[in-house]
Amino acid sequence: MEGRLPIGVGSEALNDLSRSAESRAPARQDVALGRRAMNVAVLKTKVEQALTENFAAVEDQFPGGAEARKVRDAAIGRFGALGLPNRRVEAWKYTDLRNALKEVLPLSTGDKAPVTGSDVSAALGPLAGIDAQQVVFVNGAYCEDLSTIGSGSAVDVRSLAEALSLPEATALLSAEGRDDDPVLALNAAYATDGAVVHIADEAKLDKPLLLLFVRAGTEPCFTVARNVVSIGKGADVTLIEAFVTLPGASQGGQENAATKISVGDGASVAHVKCTIDALNGTHLANWLVDLGAHATYNGFQFTSGCKLLRNQIGVAFKGENAQIDISGTFLVRGSQHVDTTLVVDHAVPHGTSRELFKGVLEDQGRGVFQGKVIVQPGAQKTDGMQMVRVLMLSPDAEFDSKPELEIYADDVVCGHGSTSAELDEDLLFYCRSRGIPKAQARALLIESFIGEAIEKVERDDVREALAELARQWLAECGSTKRT
Amino acid sequence: MLEIRDLHVKVEGEEREILKGLSLKIPKGEVHAIMGPNGSGKSTLAYVLVGRDGYEVTKGDILWNGESVLEMEPEERAAKGIFLAFQYPIEIPGVAGLTFMRSALNAVRKTRGEAELTTPEFMKLIKEKAHKLNIDMEMLKRPVNVGFSGGEKKRSEILQMEVLEPSLCVMDETDSGLDIDALRIVAEGVNAMRSKDRAMLVITHYQRLLNHIVPDRVHVLADGRIRKSGGANLALELEKSGYAEFQEEAA
Ligand SMILES: Nc1ncnc2c1ncn2[C@@H]1O[C@H](COP(=O)(O)OP(=O)(O)O)[C@@H](O)[C@H]1O
Ligand SMILES: [Mg+2]
Repeated sequence: MEGRLPIGVGSEALNDLSRSAESRAPARQDVALGRRAMNVAVLKTKVEQALTENFAAVEDQFPGGAEARKVRDAAIGRFGALGLPNRRVEAWKYTDLRNALKEVLPLSTGDKAPVTGSDVSAALGPLAGIDAQQVVFVNGAYCEDLSTIGSGSAVDVRSLAEALSLPEATALLSAEGRDDDPVLALNAAYATDGAVVHIADEAKLDKPLLLLFVRAGTEPCFTVARNVVSIGKGADVTLIEAFVTLPGASQGGQENAATKISVGDGASVAHVKCTIDALNGTHLANWLVDLGAHATYNGFQFTSGCKLLRNQIGVAFKGENAQIDISGTFLVRGSQHVDTTLVVDHAVPHGTSRELFKGVLEDQGRGVFQGKVIVQPGAQKTDGMQMVRVLMLSPDAEFDSKPELEIYADDVVCGHGSTSAELDEDLLFYCRSRGIPKAQARALLIESFIGEAIEKVERDDVREALAELARQWLAECGSTKRT
Repeated sequence: MLEIRDLHVKVEGEEREILKGLSLKIPKGEVHAIMGPNGSGKSTLAYVLVGRDGYEVTKGDILWNGESVLEMEPEERAAKGIFLAFQYPIEIPGVAGLTFMRSALNAVRKTRGEAELTTPEFMKLIKEKAHKLNIDMEMLKRPVNVGFSGGEKKRSEILQMEVLEPSLCVMDETDSGLDIDALRIVAEGVNAMRSKDRAMLVITHYQRLLNHIVPDRVHVLADGRIRKSGGANLALELEKSGYAEFQEEAA
């Protein structure tokens, strides 16, 4: 097994370059078809073509020197070979990206539209209450005026655009064994900016570090952010990523975000991602996490935005005795589609992993959860437990769940579960019999349902902000329902 | 005044009638008891009063203060002052008792045109009432009824009743699951709520509770109807003779 296991495309599907949409043949035949197709012109969708061609057109504008350019060229080459994943690719069977993407928006390299601190606070909503060191990106470019980060010995933050001029540039764009993921390949090719963060050994940060990605302007655009975070041994940090839209800005847009994070031995990290932006937009994201020995990593993802969203999370245990909790909540309504795809790779013994995701699906909302836990040969004493629970508020909502355990060691405790249920009528009646109106009773029960996941967030200020975001979402649902 | 007129009820989707022409009047200021064998329809009556789904009223009416409640949603009935202490209180995972009671109280106050209580006001009220019912505040920080013993659930129902101050209190088998001390505490709470502006209906299978909450009238419910009514003494008679008389007639 080389490097991280693929979240993206299965090896057979890798060779699937045939583009006959009606082909329902099993994967093995696709391989043959694909090989044959290699010799003839490969049929690409307009969007795939545009992604490759647009890259060539803007390549000169990307930050970084000749080295970085080589890496970007290689990445777009990979993307060209892979194409956009479709439902016949096992890991994408519930999220057919090729079918869903109908156009490519113009790449934003940051615009100089003046955005003020109070604009940003408005977009952050309850998150604005968190006292954090902020690193702000507007439409894909670092915004120094709005960032409050000071350079100290404990934390070093610079923009990716700046960092790419330094010698380690190639590493910042490398896919690290995930060459087969077209979304990551696009990210490496197109990354315009992002945060490059170093946390010193033993640094204890009182304030969270907030990486804020703001969408501004009335023209929807394509933004690509890449963050690379290294956390020193024994450090203790809270890192928050928030994706927000300014009031009045376009609700469309396409976003590709990746955060690579390496957690040093004995470090303790809380990593929160909050995506509440662009209701009609597309958001494709990756978290790539490497864990040192005795590290503690608590990840949490709050999602209540976007028409089409996929959060891929890959965690690799590199040192023994590390423990992770990756949890989250996804609130889906209208015709939104939210996909969480998680791969936890226990490569070494004595790792502990917990996942709890709670979803609420309203209207024609669709939720997808794919969670794979791999226990490599020799990763004895692994303790893994995964759970996803979904509340279906509408008969038209859909939930697809694919939990997988791949266990190659014998002395392990692993389990997973997945449930979907409707709101309990008896509970609802009990609340109403006490005078709580139906909409409020529903909100109370849903909030408590989500609460079990949100409770996982340890910091009071962050947890409260997320709970408030959930309440706001519920109130909006209730108000559109009361007709 | 609560007035139930010739009430016929069946479970939705079933043919068999559970209540078969039940009539009853409870004026404000009075406490009435309904006694009857298991399965006679006591809880069905209670649920229909508060508007639980799944029951169908095929005939008759329920009037509270002269107004039919049958078309009202459960929360509207609560706003009109109707309250049921459940025979089997429902557990609500994830919702703390305090949060739940506060939501309910504020909702009810709103419909009465009263301002919401501030947090200190609310806490003071709850502490006072919980103390009297021998309920630990820690218990109220836990999710509603989750992990409570039978007796704790019943006391928590009475606490809600005391906090919401309804004008029609219906208590369904509140005595079951209570030991003698708890029974006395609960009865004291209920007796303290007796008032000329309030009607109360105590549903019970046993006479025991009625030693502590002495009713103005006792009704025997058997085979879906009120078969006999009398004063508090009727409960004592039933204690001796049992329900055999009524069940034979029903058979
Ligand atoms: N939801 C229901 N579905 C089916 N049968 C019911 C339902 N509720 C009550 N019944 C039936 O109606 C009868 C009366 O029940 P209930 O009102 O609970 O009696 P009691 O409270 O006097 O013991 C019983 O035969 C019971 O099985
Ligand atoms: Mg009963």
